[in-house]
Amino acid sequence: MTRWNDGTDRVEAVSPDITDETNALPAEYFTDPNAYEMEKEKIFSRYWVYAGHANCIPETGDFFTRTVGDKQIIVLRDNENDVRAFYNVCAHRGSKIVEDTPMTEPGSMSRIQCPYHLWTYDLDGDLSTTPKSFEEASLNPDLADEEVAKLDDDGNSLLEVSTDRIGPLVFVNFDTDPMPFEEQAGKMATELESLPLGDYQHAARFVSEVECNWKTFGGNYSECDHCQANHQDWIEGIQLDESELEVNDYHWVLHYTHEEDVDDELRIHDEHEAKFYYLWPNFTVNMYGTADGYGTYIIDPIDESRFQLIADYFFETSEMTREELEFVRTSRQLQEEDFELVERQYEGLKSGALAQAQLGPNEHTLHKFHRLAQEAYNA
Amino acid sequence: MTDRERASFTAICPDCNERKGTETPNEILGFYRRHRNLTGHDIEWEFVDHESIPTSAANEGLKAIVLELDETFDNGVPLALVTAAMGEQGYSIGETMAELRELRMTGHVWEPKDDHVSAF
Repeated sequence: MTRWNDGTDRVEAVSPDITDETNALPAEYFTDPNAYEMEKEKIFSRYWVYAGHANCIPETGDFFTRTVGDKQIIVLRDNENDVRAFYNVCAHRGSKIVEDTPMTEPGSMSRIQCPYHLWTYDLDGDLSTTPKSFEEASLNPDLADEEVAKLDDDGNSLLEVSTDRIGPLVFVNFDTDPMPFEEQAGKMATELESLPLGDYQHAARFVSEVECNWKTFGGNYSECDHCQANHQDWIEGIQLDESELEVNDYHWVLHYTHEEDVDDELRIHDEHEAKFYYLWPNFTVNMYGTADGYGTYIIDPIDESRFQLIADYFFETSEMTREELEFVRTSRQLQEEDFELVERQYEGLKSGALAQAQLGPNEHTLHKFHRLAQEAYNA
Repeated sequence: MTDRERASFTAICPDCNERKGTETPNEILGFYRRHRNLTGHDIEWEFVDHESIPTSAANEGLKAIVLELDETFDNGVPLALVTAAMGEQGYSIGETMAELRELRMTGHVWEPKDDHVSAF
């Protein structure tokens, strides 16, 4: 039963049983500024979140930055050809080290040098050199040079953030003792790793700002009951009644079967379907049925009432063909249609009339999403 | 016409056509910073509805613009309005921000509060 805000305040936690009345996340978690403050710590600092694509930093020293909540990291390729991530914070006095550097325009450096006092780190994060002024006490009359201890390279290294990968997709976890990545990525990792994701190059990025809570869009992505009424162009050639919604521990997959006339050659994977993976909390991998490529979405919150959709597209080469451009245009149209829907939904949520929504029996992917949020809040 | 197009302040990314409309001018700066952070793209003003913005292409310098606008505000000019005024002369937001940094670093312009500027 839908619970209106009629002054009775009867909201409850999300029930594990989808047939229960309280099967949705209470509306306040979508609109309360304190909820996003809590999510920064309880969700975005504890679960694995997508950082970016390793193909964008192919050479030693290539790097980009990624901001998650209040935290910013440098994602770089080290001398061993591994991709690592460090807080963009100098061990000396906390200065931000490198400028904001998008994955689409990566930087390159032989060593990591803070511009403030020139503390310099190797690409593995270890402190490499400091200026002479940190080795002698010429300005301090209370200290002799020989009393100055040499800075310990390991003890003053950059603060590293745990990383793991699905092929070229790099994930980070800010927890000091993170859950194993395999636990969160599950069979999604196994399935995607069997595909040649690394053979495809980044071709396009579109960033859109949308006026709603990030979970509103995440929920919209996780079901397609709205597609018939709202995505007329996209559903052409798709048999919605043959869709399958697969729910796993921390991810869910929407399978869509295509009609017979779709060219089987035009896709990265062999199966006769499109697959859309949602990995908790805010990342999707879009395996299209009608294009030889794939896409990713990052649903990045700005605050409780705004998010950025970062849509990346990967094709055989970074130069898109006319067909690929047309495909991306259609994808953008789909996004804009969804933005209207979720902004409209959010206007309703912001009115405060709804206390707790009611999910339908086929919105079990959405139910999973809401339950994961509730579990994170309660942890 | 969408809500975004009706907004008093509208800016656009010429590279990917992403548009932001708002009623608060400095929110455009937030959009510029977030978009640049993720794409490296610059942003241009598309529409400004504010009485203090001169619409004639007088080709004034940046410092003159800040001084002129500063007469209208008590505690500094919202930075976005400075970029909007420069936008009337064909400057992108990124170009204005770069020039403004030069003025600040040489002591001609200061920030009485965050994202508000005054000139000496």
